[in-house]
Amino acid sequence: MRRITEHPILTFKQGKGIKFTFDGKPIEGQEGDTIASALQAAGVRVFRESINLHRPRGFFCAIGRCANCSMVVDGVPNTKVCVTRLREGMTVETQHGRGRLDNRL
Amino acid sequence: MINTEILVIGGGPAGLCAAAEAAEHGAKVLLLDDKDVLGGQLVKQTHMFFGSHLQYAGTRGIDIATLLIENAKKTGVELMPGHTVTGIYEDGVVTALNGGKFIKIKPEKIIVATGAYENMLAFPNSDLPGVYGAGAVQTLMNVNGVAPGNRVLMVGAGNIGLIVAYQLLQAGIDVAAVIEVTDKIGGYYVHANKIRRMGVPILTRHTVKQVWGKKSVEGATVVQVDDKFRPIAGSERNYAVDTVCLAVGLTPLTELLWNAGCEMKYIPALGGHVAWHDENLRTSRENIYVCGDASGIEEASSAMIEGKVAGLNAARTLTRKTNLTQKAYDERLKDLRAQLGQLRRGPFGEKARMGNSVLAGLPPAIDEPIESLPKDYRTFPKGARVVIECEQNIPCNPCEAICPHNAIKVGKDIVNYPQLDPEKCTACALCLTRCPGLSLFVVNKDYSPTETEISLPFEMIPLPRKGDAVDALDRQGNFVCKARVTRVLTGKKFDRTSIVSIAVEHKYADTARHFRVNGTPRLEQKIVAPANIPEDMDAIICVCEDVTRREIEKVIARDRAQSVDEIKRLLRCGMGPCQGKTCQRLIMQILAGKLGRNIAEFLPQTYRGPMKPAPMGILAKAYDEEKN
Repeated sequence: MRRITEHPILTFKQGKGIKFTFDGKPIEGQEGDTIASALQAAGVRVFRESINLHRPRGFFCAIGRCANCSMVVDGVPNTKVCVTRLREGMTVETQHGRGRLDNRL
Repeated sequence: MINTEILVIGGGPAGLCAAAEAAEHGAKVLLLDDKDVLGGQLVKQTHMFFGSHLQYAGTRGIDIATLLIENAKKTGVELMPGHTVTGIYEDGVVTALNGGKFIKIKPEKIIVATGAYENMLAFPNSDLPGVYGAGAVQTLMNVNGVAPGNRVLMVGAGNIGLIVAYQLLQAGIDVAAVIEVTDKIGGYYVHANKIRRMGVPILTRHTVKQVWGKKSVEGATVVQVDDKFRPIAGSERNYAVDTVCLAVGLTPLTELLWNAGCEMKYIPALGGHVAWHDENLRTSRENIYVCGDASGIEEASSAMIEGKVAGLNAARTLTRKTNLTQKAYDERLKDLRAQLGQLRRGPFGEKARMGNSVLAGLPPAIDEPIESLPKDYRTFPKGARVVIECEQNIPCNPCEAICPHNAIKVGKDIVNYPQLDPEKCTACALCLTRCPGLSLFVVNKDYSPTETEISLPFEMIPLPRKGDAVDALDRQGNFVCKARVTRVLTGKKFDRTSIVSIAVEHKYADTARHFRVNGTPRLEQKIVAPANIPEDMDAIICVCEDVTRREIEKVIARDRAQSVDEIKRLLRCGMGPCQGKTCQRLIMQILAGKLGRNIAEFLPQTYRGPMKPAPMGILAKAYDEEKN
């Protein structure tokens, strides 16, 4: 996918780059991104695998209502990435199933 | 425990207006919103709003959000974004989560302005990434500046579907088609016209049969339906799209109202279950008010006024006497009710009029006949004049308000069709840039002996340049003739809408209403759906717990499940992190269909706090802190 650079009504400022990893791969997002928008801009659409049928899932509502975008972020499963701001150095992973509780919690 | 006089839940148009209104009358107001940016859905709207200047008509949604936030701040509202309310309890305590913090609030009055959530549509592979809600598409492209895809199929021709299709085109993303299952376009025709003249087909009586793709959407099959909404075999049509955008209606977000024990009623015209409320927007719990989409789906302009009504009444009923006098209250309420009445005039106000009458247990509200002259698209025989192609009786009057020559008259009843006085019109074209429907044009028949010049509002990129050769298009986006760009006007006064003028032969004066820069018409490439999709493929209804339509149908037939709660206990659908927001409406539809009953007879699942998934550790920590 791509970032929208030109728009007749809106102005999108080129934000500061924010580095993070997705399943171990380094990706760069931008200031102002949610994790979901940074992934989408990088062409990643599959965020998790569904719990029983193991089907690919991505975001649906993008406003934190549907939880379809739950991922493991810095070890915390079930993080709704559509409403989580991207921060430098985040570890973002595909969530398989319901997710496991991390010892740190 | 935070104490406040009035707590507003939700910082969209209704909540911001409710908070500001109450604060203006002297109340101490706190506003919570679960997002870190206030403004609700307004922050995604690039188009100008309908209505009158009292509801910021002629201003773009994004700019209205800024105005409302500023106003709330000015009136002294304490704004707390990033706080998700998780429950309203019997003792009147409201709980909220802010990251890892759990807080409690004890307000005297609560105004619920939580808005709505999008309806889901289930079809084979509807859970594939690339099937997005219209709100998600808007957030991604208009807030984050990321394209949701390269080519989109839009499902639903209500205002949201039409507006988002237009916004996709503005962002340079192709829209293959807009499909609509009913036999008519439900949104404003002027919104439909904007995309039709750009060549996007709108297919009524069509629905999605299936989508396909390995890991995400690669294509979609649409199918025509008969008058009972059954698919017509052989009418399938495939589209090569990577995104399917669902704009199939909204449901009021009422979980907190259920949780608070408000009396709820199922009113289809208002979008589903809503809290019973009186004319002052007070619910059956006397300290709880409701406004905006949470009280029934309507336009943002009505949401703002409803917010003000709720804010005014909440301030009025506080135990502490504020600076609001009886006289000021009476006058303000009368004015707000008149505004709301005005916005609910005409064909588009019918649902709100009907829904609110049913809710109040009254006979249907009578809409006084609209007394405007009929619409008139005829162009003036000579010289340059505006032609108004306003299609429907929408409450809207920015064209009248902006005209410096008083050449356009809508009148006090703003659902009237605007009328042009050709004697006064100077063809200054200012009105072209202020019509939210982009339905005004200037036609100059004296441009040259052989040519008519047509000036039209233009909100796309790239902007053509004077002298460019273009193809003139008609109102359906069909090629009319070759044309030449004669003028391109932009300016601060125009607020990001440009005016592009093209010259065409006189005989096309009434048909040419748009243009395309590069001469290639849109061609739908013929593709075939992969053969491995079984004809009777199941669809996933509950995406959290992976429950399919057939599984639900089975427990209805085999286990005699008769309610949403029973199906939930048997299959876990609705128990996942979305708490039934995706599947509940679909389950109610399946139940109604299978049992041959009316959907109004089914209750949603029982709501219990916390409304949003909350880590136990946070709740335990808050409990410990309170004890010490």
